[in-house]
Amino acid sequence: MAPSLLFNPAKLPPSEALQLAQQAPVVLQGSSSPSETVDQWATYENLLLACLRTGDDEAAAKCMDQLEARFGPDNERVMALRGLLSEAQAENNGELEAVLKQYDAILEGNSTNLPITKRRIALLRSMGRVSDAATALVQLLDFSPTDAEAWSELSDLYFTQGMYSQAIYALEEALLLSPNAWNIHARLGEVQYMAATTSGSGGGSQQKYLAEALKRFARSIELCDDYLRGYYGLKLVTTRLLKEQAKQAKQTDDGEFTLPDPKTIERLDELATAKLSEIVRHSTLKDRGWRGYDEREVAAARELLSQNGIER
Amino acid sequence: MAQVPVQTIHRDPQLFYWILFPITIVMILTGVLRHYASVLMQSAPKKLDQKAIREQRSLLHGINLRGNFHALSKKSFATRRDALVTAFESGAYLKDPERAGQGQPNPLSDPSSMEGMMGMMKNQMAMIIPNTLIMSWINAFFSGYVIMKLPFPLTIKFKSMLQAGVMTKDMDPRWMSSISWYFLCIFGLQSVFNFLLGSDNAASQMAQQMGGMGAAPQMFGPGVDPDKQFKAEAENLAVIEHYSVLDDVEERLLEGITV
Repeated sequence: MAPSLLFNPAKLPPSEALQLAQQAPVVLQGSSSPSETVDQWATYENLLLACLRTGDDEAAAKCMDQLEARFGPDNERVMALRGLLSEAQAENNGELEAVLKQYDAILEGNSTNLPITKRRIALLRSMGRVSDAATALVQLLDFSPTDAEAWSELSDLYFTQGMYSQAIYALEEALLLSPNAWNIHARLGEVQYMAATTSGSGGGSQQKYLAEALKRFARSIELCDDYLRGYYGLKLVTTRLLKEQAKQAKQTDDGEFTLPDPKTIERLDELATAKLSEIVRHSTLKDRGWRGYDEREVAAARELLSQNGIER
Repeated sequence: MAQVPVQTIHRDPQLFYWILFPITIVMILTGVLRHYASVLMQSAPKKLDQKAIREQRSLLHGINLRGNFHALSKKSFATRRDALVTAFESGAYLKDPERAGQGQPNPLSDPSSMEGMMGMMKNQMAMIIPNTLIMSWINAFFSGYVIMKLPFPLTIKFKSMLQAGVMTKDMDPRWMSSISWYFLCIFGLQSVFNFLLGSDNAASQMAQQMGGMGAAPQMFGPGVDPDKQFKAEAENLAVIEHYSVLDDVEERLLEGITV
């Protein structure tokens, strides 16, 4: 599928983002038509983002001018985009500091400007001031605790700092806001698996983490039955559980999840292996209906399977 | 059984062009005008300050936890519940905590709620004034005679609706007077306005009346005491019996998925 300007280009692979950004002259040329269509401004915004990604600051500035002319410089979203543009054009740390000061000034006047608040946090993070960013995010979440995006970002911040229990807490909040998001279920499983790996071998806490990780991956697959990351995580957890089966501690019932019996784990392991090898086989052959998997993820799955000594 | 003879009334065909069309066109034009007038009169939504946002979203947070608790394990749910119930009951999220428990303020004395009422008044006025004008125009010019015959039979109950202004007892209800045509236009032009102005237009008063009646009681607004809302939500949270969607997920998965 060709990339479309109607969707946010942040998650596109570089080649497709470049393809989008190259449409800039055409789109900017066609802007002289007097009537505005429904998708026009979404197109401009996404084009702006794509141009910034590919380093075409000139076209991005043109998009920005159009947006500003239409919605006025006081629109919160336009303000955030303007800030993003000046962040991209800043050449050294000093200029970034100036942008940060601008954000602070804006927020002084209007503390509920969510787009600018988020930009400020993102800027703090990209300047390496992670703990400041986390503090600012916590402040934001204090007055707006129903923002799944912010909770996920906070979880990611904690995760990169190795604070797994805080990361799990934040992800659980995001999950409360969208309880059927299989990617968040799988992400939570991943964080829990990481927490289990670092919490030292043996002991009850590690087992609790693994038990919940297993369940999270299982739920994520239940919600989306060809989700590669879900199967990958499930395979990781079951492999590890089967290896450590001998030293399972006595399970206590204190409101945590408990591990299923070894037989179920074995069957889950078989299921994950079978499904993973199916996905790897089909997407290597580029079969119809099996496209759209990330190549790197498929490669990782292949590696995991070969580590376990399974023929594809 | 005696057949009722079909009534025939000879009408000037010009009635059609000089009454039916003008009324319809005038109705459509006023609808369009009303739409643009209300767009012009609309005031921008008022900005909330940070504390008000915090109050509203914290309440939403609690409602969310109540609705989606099954995504969490029992322990993490219990932690959140305890924290939220304590905060809700102590009024930690209130916009101004010292006013807690004093009951709701009089909505008439609160300037922010006055603004909302003014908006409603403006909408009502934009509806009432043109309708009154048109109705008196029709009454003054076109009352007292029938202008058309409907192509389908109707029961006698419709007589008062369709033949308003024509005091003839025995006439078939299929005959229609101009004021009745006006009423039909009021109720029937909705789809025309949808076509002309888009689906969220302000032209049809029917939609507004429906919205006024059918809408659930406002969650945040004048006259609602947030402290009481928080207390009620705390109670709701406290009585939840927890279960998790992760219980037995492996069995479900193994049954449900085949490779």
